Amino acid sequence: MAEVRLVDIEKRYGSFVAVAKQSLTIENGEFLVLLGPSGCGKTTTMRMIAGLEEITAGDILIAGERVNDKPPKDRDIAMVFQNYGLYPHMTVGQNIEYPLKLRGVNKATRQQQVQDTAAKVELDALLGRRPSELSGGQRQRVALARAIVRTPKIFLMDEPLSNLDAKLRVTMRAELKHLHHELGVTTVYVTHDQMEAMTLASRVAVMREGRIVQLDTPRKIYAEPADLFVAGFIGSPSMNLVNGSVTAGRFRAEGIDVPVDLPDRDSVVLGIRPEELDIATDSSAPVAGKLYALELTGDSTLVTMRMGKTSVCARGPADFEAAINEPCYLTPKAGARFHLFDRNSGQRLDG
Amino acid sequence: MKERTLSYTLMVPAFLIVLATTLYPLAYSFVTSFREWDLTKQRRPGDFVGIENYVHAASESGFQNSLWVTTIFVVTSVIVTVVLAMSLALLLRREGRLHTFTRIILILPFAMSPALIGVSYRFMFNPEFGVLAKGIGAIFPALEGTPWLASPDLAMAILVITDVWHWTPYMTFMCLGGLASIPRETEEAARIDGASNLRIIFGIILPQMKGVLMVTAVLKTIFALKMFDQVVTLTGGGPGTSTETMAFFIFNVGFKWFDMGYASALAWILTAIMMIISAWYVRMLLSERKMATA
Ligand SMILES: Nc1ncnc2c1ncn2[C@@H]1O[C@H](COP(=O)(O)OP(=O)(O)O)[C@@H](O)[C@H]1O
Ligand SMILES: [Mg+2]
Repeated sequence: MAEVRLVDIEKRYGSFVAVAKQSLTIENGEFLVLLGPSGCGKTTTMRMIAGLEEITAGDILIAGERVNDKPPKDRDIAMVFQNYGLYPHMTVGQNIEYPLKLRGVNKATRQQQVQDTAAKVELDALLGRRPSELSGGQRQRVALARAIVRTPKIFLMDEPLSNLDAKLRVTMRAELKHLHHELGVTTVYVTHDQMEAMTLASRVAVMREGRIVQLDTPRKIYAEPADLFVAGFIGSPSMNLVNGSVTAGRFRAEGIDVPVDLPDRDSVVLGIRPEELDIATDSSAPVAGKLYALELTGDSTLVTMRMGKTSVCARGPADFEAAINEPCYLTPKAGARFHLFDRNSGQRLDG
Repeated sequence: MKERTLSYTLMVPAFLIVLATTLYPLAYSFVTSFREWDLTKQRRPGDFVGIENYVHAASESGFQNSLWVTTIFVVTSVIVTVVLAMSLALLLRREGRLHTFTRIILILPFAMSPALIGVSYRFMFNPEFGVLAKGIGAIFPALEGTPWLASPDLAMAILVITDVWHWTPYMTFMCLGGLASIPRETEEAARIDGASNLRIIFGIILPQMKGVLMVTAVLKTIFALKMFDQVVTLTGGGPGTSTETMAFFIFNVGFKWFDMGYASALAWILTAIMMIISAWYVRMLLSERKMATA
């Protein structure tokens, strides 16, 4: 267990900035998720912590000790690689056993731990196989097992569930969360799946183009996205974002007219989550347009409507039915939150 | 149908040329290997003698010697070349200006003609004025004036050295190719898991190089079995018969002593050895591919 501090770290490849100069402290025992679209520098950040990538500038401290010049094996970490990094010439069992073997664990203990770990990731039946005889999801679980077979100071996991099917992903997510609860090992977890981030994280660092744009608890990130990028990235379906302007305490755009607490200004983006909109029958409802699409998701129906160029989506009851291209009305639920952003800077305007 | 006839017709000249230049001599030498044919006595092949030429090979001391010489040459040069090539590849696999430069320099020995290499090395190991002989003498004064090519063991050693020098670059490139195809993550995972550098090389990298190394070794074996030019230009088979490899001995039997029947039989024995190794090589390639696509 250890605290990880990144102090003014930066990573450049030639003149290309992969990770911009910034600091980040990962608390002892925390489950920190690095979330962002592909290419935003998540893997690079993780590899710098692991010691696989030299840092261009700054310091990395693990448990208070500067580790810039320490090789990976002396940092006491375990890592799950995005593309597995399994040893192809070893069986699944030998792969999982290898870290223990290298750390001098005796054979009986080793075998017991391999068995236990394999059971956790549902690999018990495959211990004798070679990685080349496994599916992508199975390989990913071997990579996961190889990391969690030991209890290191820090876990680094680079999209460890990305290749699993939906059902197994949910099971594994719970397994990881439980494991973290049991061991309390500081974990840095990379994903581009906001759902995974929300469910697993103590805190989420949302990254964009090599920069952390918001670092907060999942709840805070969902409730108060710091800018348009985070607002659009978190939540599924994503937040409705409508361009408009504020005059006399009302936000107005084509088909929309709602009261907001903001002085007059142009170039405002209003954000509202689909789950905070209700379907209305009344033509005086604050959001009005034409019904564009209905998508049944099982427990609810996603209602998409169009007003001019913008479209707005709402989560309605599962039994909602209406004719496409007919007028349709939405109204914010009681207590619904309007998010207001500056259209040019993307920054959040209200508190 | 017409088009097919035409395409076969167009292939006839090429087929005839292959027939005349490859298949005919092969078949001719095969037939000759069952006949008696002493060129000093008769201009045309003589009587069929069955497998007498082959039986003769089993007991004749010149051939026995060449078999032994070839075995020693092949085994040492293959082992030294593969080990050296693999080590060099491990040193050169990182990207960098110096590495690229070294790789370019490495091409040179391979670009040289083997016959020329033999001549150069003969000069360089001349005890009177050879640059290598003098250099070794300067570092180890005890070896000053050693008649390198006059000692059977040293001559063989130098023959192996020239061959290693000639082939190592090519084999290094094969190993570099193999190394490049190993996923970087396997090594990184081992580093994180706590493996030392040596352990990574022997426990992670070399096992993944097994296929490439086998292919390299088999190819090198075939090339070493055929080695001829350097013997002619460097040692001339000597001192005595100590560096008479099979290819060189067969040449002597045929074109110095003009015993064409016996020479043909020996050539076919060498061919059989190489065919067995090649078949093994092809089988290995196929199973490698099967493993890679599994
Ligand atoms: N070795 C490298 N050389 C040059 N650019 C690199 C290298 N590794 C990564 N990058 C670039 O750095 C950026 C961040 O990459 P990465 O951290 O892998 O992103 P991701 O968030 O998808 O994991 C990408 O634009 C990538 O192209
Ligand atoms: Mg990545």
